[in-house]
Amino acid sequence: MTALLRLLSRTKLYWGLLLICLIGALTSPYTSSGHNIFLSYGNLTDVLRQVSITGLVATGMTMVILLGGIDLSVGSVMGFSTVICAMLLTKPGWTAASVMGVPAAILVGGAAVALAVRFIFAGLARGRDVSAGRRREIALSRRQSTAIPGLLGLVATIAIGWWTMNQVPTKFGVLGVLLIAPCLAMVLGGVNGLLIVTGRLQPFIATLAMMVSALGIARLTAGSDNAVVPVYTGTNATEAFELLRSMLWGVLPVPSVFFLAAIILFGAILRFTTFGRYAYAIGGNVEAAKLSGIKVAQVQLTAYLLSGLLAGIAGVLFVAQYRQGKPDAGTGLELDAIAAVVIGGTSLMGGRGGLAGTFVGVLIFGLLSDILQLQNIDSNVQLVMKGLIIVCTVLVQEQNLGQLVARWQFRRSGDEHVGPKTAEPHRLPSAAKAQFAREDLDEAS
Amino acid sequence: MGTRFDALGAEDARGASRASPAAVLGSRAGAPGREIVLCAEQISKSFAGVKALHNVDFDLRHGEVHALMGENGAGKSTLMKILAGVHTGYDGTVLIEGHTASFSGVRLAEEAGVAIIHQELNLVPELSVADNIFLGREPLIGGVLIDRRRMVSAAKRLLARLGVTIAPETRVAGLRVGEQQLVEIAKALSLNARILIMDEPTSALSSSECDTLFKIVRQLAAEGVAIIYTSHRIEEVLELADRVTVLRDGRQVMTAPIGELSREAIISAMVGREMAANASRKAAQDGAVVLSVQKLTLDTLGPHGWRRTLHGVSFALRRGEILGIGGLLGSGRTEILESIFGVSRGWRDGSIAIDGAAVDINSPTDAYRLGVALVSEDRKERGLHLTASICDNVALPSIGALSRFGLRSFAGERALATDMVERLSVRCAGIGQEVAALSGGNQQKVVIGKWLGTEPRILLLDEPTRGIDIGAKQEIYRLIFNLAAQGLGIIVVTSEMPELLLLSDRILVMCEGRQTGILARENATQETVMRLAAPGMAAWSQGALS
Repeated sequence: MTALLRLLSRTKLYWGLLLICLIGALTSPYTSSGHNIFLSYGNLTDVLRQVSITGLVATGMTMVILLGGIDLSVGSVMGFSTVICAMLLTKPGWTAASVMGVPAAILVGGAAVALAVRFIFAGLARGRDVSAGRRREIALSRRQSTAIPGLLGLVATIAIGWWTMNQVPTKFGVLGVLLIAPCLAMVLGGVNGLLIVTGRLQPFIATLAMMVSALGIARLTAGSDNAVVPVYTGTNATEAFELLRSMLWGVLPVPSVFFLAAIILFGAILRFTTFGRYAYAIGGNVEAAKLSGIKVAQVQLTAYLLSGLLAGIAGVLFVAQYRQGKPDAGTGLELDAIAAVVIGGTSLMGGRGGLAGTFVGVLIFGLLSDILQLQNIDSNVQLVMKGLIIVCTVLVQEQNLGQLVARWQFRRSGDEHVGPKTAEPHRLPSAAKAQFAREDLDEAS
Repeated sequence: MGTRFDALGAEDARGASRASPAAVLGSRAGAPGREIVLCAEQISKSFAGVKALHNVDFDLRHGEVHALMGENGAGKSTLMKILAGVHTGYDGTVLIEGHTASFSGVRLAEEAGVAIIHQELNLVPELSVADNIFLGREPLIGGVLIDRRRMVSAAKRLLARLGVTIAPETRVAGLRVGEQQLVEIAKALSLNARILIMDEPTSALSSSECDTLFKIVRQLAAEGVAIIYTSHRIEEVLELADRVTVLRDGRQVMTAPIGELSREAIISAMVGREMAANASRKAAQDGAVVLSVQKLTLDTLGPHGWRRTLHGVSFALRRGEILGIGGLLGSGRTEILESIFGVSRGWRDGSIAIDGAAVDINSPTDAYRLGVALVSEDRKERGLHLTASICDNVALPSIGALSRFGLRSFAGERALATDMVERLSVRCAGIGQEVAALSGGNQQKVVIGKWLGTEPRILLLDEPTRGIDIGAKQEIYRLIFNLAAQGLGIIVVTSEMPELLLLSDRILVMCEGRQTGILARENATQETVMRLAAPGMAAWSQGALS
């Protein structure tokens, strides 16, 4: 019985999702031919399509929040990415977008290839070592370990440079924008990371500054007065770009393919790689992680880079979806993403949660607005509902509700022995945790 | 709220507005040093199952300075905190002027006339002296606005009573520590405190500041304030106290008037009987030197500017040897370990060699690569990820080495954790259990296991048995001996003297950042260590020897 209850409690998020689906199905209007609109394949894939952009951003946000940070800049960075993408698609020659984008792509691409090569060599060396029985690191010699990745990185740099330069005089194609816009966004994410890691700024402050300035950069890049860059595939942009808003094999909308791929890929990274474990360890107790020899700065920087990268990809998908790039495309997006992450059970203190939760959180939001739209309910009511959903799910998630009820029962019963069932130690908020630790050590002073 | 402020007016018409206990006090003014104002009987207190105080009796008389002495962990702080209402939930009774007092908080204790001055001062640096003195009890105009004029003049009167010339408008951050201490005292006086508890008030003071403080303490005592005073400096206690109570391991060992006591008597009461030497262990004297530290110096930035925390510490550690580092809190013991491990904050100077080769350790990653491991003092804040499983915690420093292409080897991690849980006999439901649910001793074993997994050659242990019970302590001791027998070089920092003597092959004693000596096991007794560790005692012991 208790095991069943625990199972229910652990999976309550999925029950919430199911509940929303149920409500949607029951309240949904029917077509003239008697089909439930909410449950129709078209409607459900539409929901997936609509949540994809927020979902991609929320995926990056989850990693940042797991580390105990926050990234407020993702909305602006995505807006910037839409502008870059739209300009690359529609304007030939050296525009502001290509002037910034080509070097960024060359730099990031080259560095990424160099790091990947180095990583592979380190893995190979380690592999030989493991089979020999001991696990001390024997890497390439110092010179080799910089020269080989450096050389290959240089090759990649030249290749990317040649390829992108060739596209500048004409317009960029799908692959071109999919490379350049995310690379530029990644640079902005990297600036966030460097400010936080080396400048020791609070993540909130550093990314707030980036949020403001990225919006400015986007407006400056777009240049014109209303700053909206329209993209008409087939007339002022390549026909192929239409691909990014089509259905893949007629089954799944392409944006949602990106979203699902990101969830699965990064979910696996968090679960199966050392990076993932380090992220949880840093979020859980940064002091202990540091003393355990984890390169905290490196992990944090990576998380902000990835957050920027995903915001950049979201920007390209936005352009495909709405046929325009505009600087304020992502206004408020960061808060939607944070809300989805929090609903998904990831603790804002870091160290607890995961991408499965975020996926469900994003879907809950998407389904909710779909249901309300099907009922023709005012969009402002939707906002209120969103707020309520955030509060309710977090109350349930954090078991605060249970604690409140227990305290109330305790008060009422007045019985000394019925303690409030609060103190499962792992549920203590961190302040209480510190108190707990101090009390314990007091006697030693 | 308004009534609390009557204390201010009382400065003008002293005693008139005081509550009834104060009136009692007034009647006793003619017979100082006789009446008992505070009487604690059979006080016991435990933290998480560890007994910190054991049936302690303590009394305090009108107008006396009663010194409370004992080693670190003897229970002084706990007793003081109980009397001041910081700790609630203890066994035994506290009587204040004959009435049972059971404070459920510091505020209530203050209302009963008991004030405590903590070792770390509790002032708001950005506020003025007057603001700090009346924080939370500000005189108000019409119940809303702060009456600054009245507050400043009252603060001025209080400071004048102490005979100090600090302007009440000065920002506290601009004062020296000694002056801040005086502000705390003024704050206590503003509460009409008749019992003043001072926890190591001189630990951060210069000698001239100490003199001022002593003068004020004597003056307050003459005015009838009863003072509980703790200090590690025996000289100071001999000079200032009327009576001394010594605690050891949470038990009261002695209470006697100062006239009947000597330095030696106090020290031997504090350290107690000789512990039975650990005969089973043979000290390894012939192993190769694994770690050698030369002229280690550390400058750190504290709240009062740059300070030298380590003055040229030099020692060598052999394979299979256990080197104990003794000294009082704040003597630089932990800083030595942190410097070796590469996590000290500040400027470090001097050289460290491992296996004879000079090394430069600037981060735990460097230390890890060189086979150095640190089990830090505060296992919950700095050692463990409490919400993670035993397996995740134990594997954390090793998962990089266990992984390939960045992919974790779950089997490898589990094998490592299972191995450690067995080797260290961690009592748990399984390696998947959350460490928060383990007892202190088992948590400590997990932290040690975490580092043993990296196969270190040098193990640095900072207070390895802090806050764990006797049984678990014995297990940790056995573990440390085993590891030394396996050839690890081990450095142990501990505040508990018997533990230091039991574990160490040699003992390095620190005092105020200076290395005052290295004692071989044969020469180490509680007295010899204490002499080297206590400030001011080194000079005395030299005098005694000559």
